[in-house]
Amino acid sequence: MKSALLAAAALCASALPLAAGDLLVTVARPSNLYVFDAGTRALRQDCDLGANVTPGVIAMSPDNSIAYVLLNHWQDVVGVNIETCETVFRAAQSEGDVTRRSLASLAVSKDGSEIYTVRNPVRKKIDRYEVMQPEFAVYQADAGLEAEPAALFEAPRRATLMATDRKGSVYLAGHDVYRIDPATGETEVAIANASWDRPAYSPPDVLAFWPTGSQNDEFMLMYTAAVFTDESQQELADFVWGYQSVDLTTGETEIADFASFEVLMFSGVRSGVDPKYLYGVYTQLSKHNLETRELVKRVDLPHTYYVINVSSDGKEIYVGGTNDDIGIYDSETLERIGEIRMPSGGDMSVSTLQVVPQG
Amino acid sequence: MKPLNQKAERVQQAAAEGQMEEVRAMQTVTAGCATTFDPGWEVDPFGGLAALCQPMEADLYGCSDPCWWPAQVPDIMVNHQNWDEGAPNAATDWRALGTTYPTDAET
Repeated sequence: MKSALLAAAALCASALPLAAGDLLVTVARPSNLYVFDAGTRALRQDCDLGANVTPGVIAMSPDNSIAYVLLNHWQDVVGVNIETCETVFRAAQSEGDVTRRSLASLAVSKDGSEIYTVRNPVRKKIDRYEVMQPEFAVYQADAGLEAEPAALFEAPRRATLMATDRKGSVYLAGHDVYRIDPATGETEVAIANASWDRPAYSPPDVLAFWPTGSQNDEFMLMYTAAVFTDESQQELADFVWGYQSVDLTTGETEIADFASFEVLMFSGVRSGVDPKYLYGVYTQLSKHNLETRELVKRVDLPHTYYVINVSSDGKEIYVGGTNDDIGIYDSETLERIGEIRMPSGGDMSVSTLQVVPQG
Repeated sequence: MKPLNQKAERVQQAAAEGQMEEVRAMQTVTAGCATTFDPGWEVDPFGGLAALCQPMEADLYGCSDPCWWPAQVPDIMVNHQNWDEGAPNAATDWRALGTTYPTDAET
């Protein structure tokens, strides 16, 4: 089995550098990192990571050659070359009686030299768990297979997704969206969420689990909130969907409502080709016009999908995670035009689905 | 109607004191699975069933992998890491997923 995988890896390794178009990168049970050719829907690489790959958060290196994955139940940060399946980076974060898990927090600097995560240490004592201060950890990408943090800073609690911009800042989703200087650990609020100044709004509810904003070069999260008729918050006016975004080139932020809360959406994405459209997924696939705040179209899906992404040309929508298939949809008609099944037959669960431009 | 726990008792007390306006079911303030205190598979954020994950099996590992709803499914992250052994596909292998007990915990 292993030799067959290696042989397949060798074949794929020779083919990958010549490829054009997008690749799709995800992980699935039992222990597979998959690379698919989005154009041909064909398997390009199957890397056995040798460990439970779920919940499967993936962050790509800026040159898209390395997939960084949170492995071993969110305890280990592992970097895998997607052409060769070679493990090029590994940081085992737990040690002794201290377990450290990174709850979906993973990002790579735009020059590829540093990897960031927020890890949550818990010391296991004889009679209880001691919850310790969360840490913002900075790793050097060339630290090898026994990597230790090059720097540690205190981090906010309840942190999940992360992203980096081209000015060197790191963004972290938690009670608010924070901006962190990885050189000093200095942290400020980039977008107010729990602390937002919207007197007629309830606090927002944000599900931040899928780091998939790269196609529009943004860190984009969606929220829901109750909107009341006035600041007394006695009479409900609407329940809304909104989005908040950090431009990962300029660092500029925006936050705005875009629709009434009619269906659930677990994740959303915008294409860089036409970012006025936001596509959201759960048991339906929805296309929203952010400028007019109109629902352009909504279609039912064969089953629930957690994660959504978009092709580099903006023409195809990919929905994945959850079960063992990636559904492919036309971004104009929302018609299902293709499907890719996981070769292992294993579920992706809450895994990330990254779109990796080639050529 | 007799309250069975402290929370139900407080709801009953609120009703008696005319303060029911302050009691809000979580389904009215959250959008699905945002915290482990959200409604589970019993009811969706709209108070119905249509917005629950479809089919239910699609959501099993989404809840157990990140320890999302530890009350409804064993958490694979910490205590029952082998719960899904031999069952990589929840839609077809759900029959292999058994009940767990505290003594099964590995940590």
